[in-house]
Amino acid sequence: MTRSSLVPSALASSSLTRRLFLLAVLWIAPALIITGIILTDLFRTHAEAELSRRMAQHLDELAAVLEVTPDSGVALARDLSDPRFRRPLSGLYWRVDGPGNRVLRSRSLWDQALDLPADTPKDGEVHRHTLTGPNRTPLVAWERSLHLPGAAAPVRAAVIADASDVQAATAGFSRALGLSLAVLAAGLLAAVAVQVRLGLGPLRRMREALADLRIGRSNRLEGTFPSEVQPVVDDLNLLMEENRAMVERARAQAADLAHALKTPLAVIANAAAAPGGMDPAVVAAEADRMRHQIERHLARARAAPTLLHSLGGTVVLPVLRQIARTVARLHTERGVEIQVDGDAQARVRADPVDLQEMAGNLIDNAAKWCAVAVRVTAVLAEGAVVITVQDDGPGIPADRRSDVLARGARLDEAVPGTGLGLTITEELARLHGGSLSLDTSPTGGLSVSLHLPQATAR
Amino acid sequence: MRILLAEDDAALRRQLAEALADAGYAVDLAPDGEEAAFLGESEPYDAVVLDLGLPVRDGLSVLRAWRAVGIKVPVLILTARGTWQEKVEGIDAGADDYLAKPFRMEELLARVRALIRRAGGLAAAELRCGPVALDTRTGRVTVDGRPIALTAHEFKVLSYLMHHPGKVVSRTELTEHVYAQDFDRDSNTIEVFVGRLRRKLGSDFIRTERGLGYRLEAAP
Repeated sequence: MTRSSLVPSALASSSLTRRLFLLAVLWIAPALIITGIILTDLFRTHAEAELSRRMAQHLDELAAVLEVTPDSGVALARDLSDPRFRRPLSGLYWRVDGPGNRVLRSRSLWDQALDLPADTPKDGEVHRHTLTGPNRTPLVAWERSLHLPGAAAPVRAAVIADASDVQAATAGFSRALGLSLAVLAAGLLAAVAVQVRLGLGPLRRMREALADLRIGRSNRLEGTFPSEVQPVVDDLNLLMEENRAMVERARAQAADLAHALKTPLAVIANAAAAPGGMDPAVVAAEADRMRHQIERHLARARAAPTLLHSLGGTVVLPVLRQIARTVARLHTERGVEIQVDGDAQARVRADPVDLQEMAGNLIDNAAKWCAVAVRVTAVLAEGAVVITVQDDGPGIPADRRSDVLARGARLDEAVPGTGLGLTITEELARLHGGSLSLDTSPTGGLSVSLHLPQATAR
Repeated sequence: MRILLAEDDAALRRQLAEALADAGYAVDLAPDGEEAAFLGESEPYDAVVLDLGLPVRDGLSVLRAWRAVGIKVPVLILTARGTWQEKVEGIDAGADDYLAKPFRMEELLARVRALIRRAGGLAAAELRCGPVALDTRTGRVTVDGRPIALTAHEFKVLSYLMHHPGKVVSRTELTEHVYAQDFDRDSNTIEVFVGRLRRKLGSDFIRTERGLGYRLEAAP
């Protein structure tokens, strides 16, 4: 599932403040609404339980004062203690259905005949009924059956209360609660707003620091930041330092190159002005020199910017195979056999393009000099990957090896090439924190080992 | 031998065309990728020198298109960048060889010669057929070791035949591989060149297969 489908579009907006605020609203609103519903319900339950308890007391009292009259009817020995039973339509009533359909009612019922639904509760049971009373008020009746001493049949005794009181109280509570929760919500949101503002403060400060940086008032992000932001600031500072270093390096390289080209240019200009006419050999030699310089500087320029991005590393073996395939094709005519094997896990801290460049130069060089076979291996050794390229050619005597790595030296001008392959590879290797070493291969040819720092897979 | 040269830089194109023509090739020029793609698909070349950084359409896509439709002409890629990444891409796209700028003209000519020889399945730089020898490096022709002077067109006809020893080559085919595209072609002149070659190299050296064309006896 993608991020965008998880987050409502309003949250995907560009403002972090708005995003945090909306998220707060998203949890505060439902939390308060659910709280309101639960509290109102608790209140209603409690109010109803209280009413039930009181009505049970009234019912007990009613049962206690009932007595059997000599004519086998029933009567109240005295009035019930709650005066509301005597005040007309007070909302509290009683009713007794005696033997022979004789009905006693509280005075409060006045002229209303309140009929109970047909029911015969068992002994000791209290039944509850919902009724409609005078002025269509909702009523609730609690009733039980009584066996009075001397009575022929059980008596139904009921006390009845106006339920609208409970409803009104609940509604009142709910209103007051709603108001309180609204005030709470406003308070919470205000707190969230303050929190977001304070929380994002470091980002604002970072922006100001960046603005300072842009107008050149400082050359790094100044100040201390919270531990979540500090790594970003540190990385930014590091990146800027590397950038600055890179720009300086590039400037130096451009100057170097310009300088390096000036000498051959001067020689060519002089040759052109020579009285005896231009000597083509001089021009060709100087053109070669210029070409060497350009190749070297290009190789270095290519390597430098990619260093930053090569931390993930490159798996070595596929690149070696790819290069071997290409080199074999380029040397089809000579029928060179290039064998590649090694550790499939080997991964170097270098860009694929740089690794291609280094491996390409080494393998191509070996293919130029070999009799028939080139052997390429990649092994892991103590935090480094060692790529070894061996050929079965004439090799290089030990005392001449340092010459090969010197700038653009070529031991044999007969084989085409710039003669810079090993030099450039050595420079690239050094730029990547590695090294290049020359040795004799088992068949007496040249063996070149390229050591590069190993990268750990992310 | 006829070559397509696709290079956008006018100065380099002129130099290359001159050098290739001097080396005895008929040369067609394409200043951009589209023209190169068209010529490569419609004309039978013996080799192509293809710059990668062509305008309109880049060289790599032109090469891929040719290989996709089964055009097997040997291709030498030219490029200013010269990174291994580019070499790998070029070779994977179907190039046969690769040359980075700046280069020496002799090196380019050597590579083109090698490509053409390889395409004909010939290993040695000196082509031999009976008493006749043609050194592809120098363009020298000898009979029994005696140097023979040939005109440019005679050389082109002989060179094509010697790159395809034993194979019957029609007059049309010879015309197509001896003349550049914009040349006013006349297949009758081929007969004239063959006649002169027979006089200079020996009368039974180039056989006429009636109604089919010419054939060099494969080297004994």
